[in-house]
Amino acid sequence: MPVEFISPYITNLLIFIGIYIILVVSLNLTLGYTGMLNLGHVALFAIGAYTSALLMTRLDFPFVIAFLAAGIFAGFFGYVLVLATKKLKGDYFALATLGFAFIVVNLLLNLQGLTHGPLGIPGIPKPSLFGLTIQSNFSYLIFVAIVAFVSVFIIYKIVKSPFGRILEATRDDEIGLRVLGKNTVKLKYKAMIISGFFAGIAGSLFAHYLSFIDPSSFHLSEIILVLTIVIVGGLASIKGSILASFVILLIPEVLRFLALPSSIIGPGRQIIYALILITILMYKPRGLFGRVDLE
Amino acid sequence: MSIFSQLTVNGLIAGSIYALVASGFSLIYGTNKFMHFAHGVSVAVAAYLLYSFFSLAGINFYFSVLLTLIFSGVFGLLMYRGIYLPLQNKKASNVILLIASIGILILVENLIQIIYGADVKVINFIEVAQGLNFFGAIITPLQIVIILSSVILFVSLYFFMKKTRLGRDMRAVADNKELASIVGINYKRVASYSFIIGSVLAGIAGILIGLEQNLRPLMGTDLIIRGFTGAVIGGITSVPASILGSYILGFAENYGIWFLPSGYKDAIAFALLLIFLLFRPRGLFGLKREVEK
Repeated sequence: MPVEFISPYITNLLIFIGIYIILVVSLNLTLGYTGMLNLGHVALFAIGAYTSALLMTRLDFPFVIAFLAAGIFAGFFGYVLVLATKKLKGDYFALATLGFAFIVVNLLLNLQGLTHGPLGIPGIPKPSLFGLTIQSNFSYLIFVAIVAFVSVFIIYKIVKSPFGRILEATRDDEIGLRVLGKNTVKLKYKAMIISGFFAGIAGSLFAHYLSFIDPSSFHLSEIILVLTIVIVGGLASIKGSILASFVILLIPEVLRFLALPSSIIGPGRQIIYALILITILMYKPRGLFGRVDLE
Repeated sequence: MSIFSQLTVNGLIAGSIYALVASGFSLIYGTNKFMHFAHGVSVAVAAYLLYSFFSLAGINFYFSVLLTLIFSGVFGLLMYRGIYLPLQNKKASNVILLIASIGILILVENLIQIIYGADVKVINFIEVAQGLNFFGAIITPLQIVIILSSVILFVSLYFFMKKTRLGRDMRAVADNKELASIVGINYKRVASYSFIIGSVLAGIAGILIGLEQNLRPLMGTDLIIRGFTGAVIGGITSVPASILGSYILGFAENYGIWFLPSGYKDAIAFALLLIFLLFRPRGLFGLKREVEK
């Protein structure tokens, strides 16, 4: 195993940034490219995290299976979400997806037999691939970097493909596309399943890195963080999402160097995210590289 | 029989609290047509203001209440003029306003947590009184005050909306913004007033809830989810429908735990929210247009 030549602090930060890049780029696929006002993405992330954690702690599944199952299960819930909400328009779609996020957190809290409720799931094992266990944080970082690179590459290929252009056409002129005989609902299913899959594997990476998850990691404030990153980076810009993941996650680290007590750092971080979100909405709603407006 | 009475009384108390939150939320939605989720934090701000004026500064209770209500109205107006109106002037969509409102909610909740700390606070105005026996149900005097004052408030709100000039203007804007401006109603003025009145309603809710329960920095999120659910059940575009929906929610939660463990109270609320959002987004008494395709 390689020597840790970057500090544990930086390694930890980079792991989170890698996980968020997958989460945010996959959200951009639905929110930015397809124009679906999806506020429930964090719930799919949570479903991935719990699926992977439960399969490994309860049923002793190998990591690779748990990891893929996290993606598939989250993708399936993405499908269910579109199935349930396909009749709703505009802010009602946004609200239904937000409601979905509330409900998922509530089920995680209340299905105690399955999820241990607020106590969460401890002792989630580190991943092992082909007999090699990823023990050190540095090797975990390499693993996250590879998964993030592959995920972003796949999503990049998707949005640049003819299929990706049809997704953007759905966003820009859904009725026009229907006139041309395209089934736009089917396109939304596909976008949401793909987006959900990547949110799910990001959840799996999150769970196995922390080795402990509880419902508090998937609250409303997390939804705000993910939305902030997508909007700051810009809708329908993968480059923007990646850059914004670095910028937004690094800014609150300043608080750490001000020697503030931890009771202030936690809320302080949320305040910074919320301020960035409100400011960008008011003064630069297209973010860094956004090509379209949020409507 | 006494279980039934107790659950009825509990449902009535919960329903009154949710309706206090939902009425302001729905009033603001009517004239502005976007979801002002930060309404929940207006309730929390009011509760903490009353705590600061009365419990910390030692100001006379009734004067503290008056100050709290004034500040609540100002807080609502500031949110509208400082954030929502500039966004609307830039033609921001309703979803942008919704996202901005969640941003405000998170922002102010965390400010409360930094200023007052994460531990619970108690406003000790009324000594914990002996509960009264009411058809086999136990109810405290404060809870009677909550139920009565909310009913009085809703009746006066109804007459305000029906009989006064401003109330009629609000209903006109809620019904058709373009048409209202054609007949000379100043939209921004009506929207500002609806934020002030809606936030004062949130202030009243915050005062009553603050007297009845402990103060927690994150109380606003829980309350707005309940108020929002009540509004969706009844029909978000109409204030009376939202109030009715909130009482239905309060009763459903409490009768529900007759059959289910009490931990499922939240689950009942969320199940209702989901069912209504998916199958009847306009609510029980709402109009069909502008919700579904």
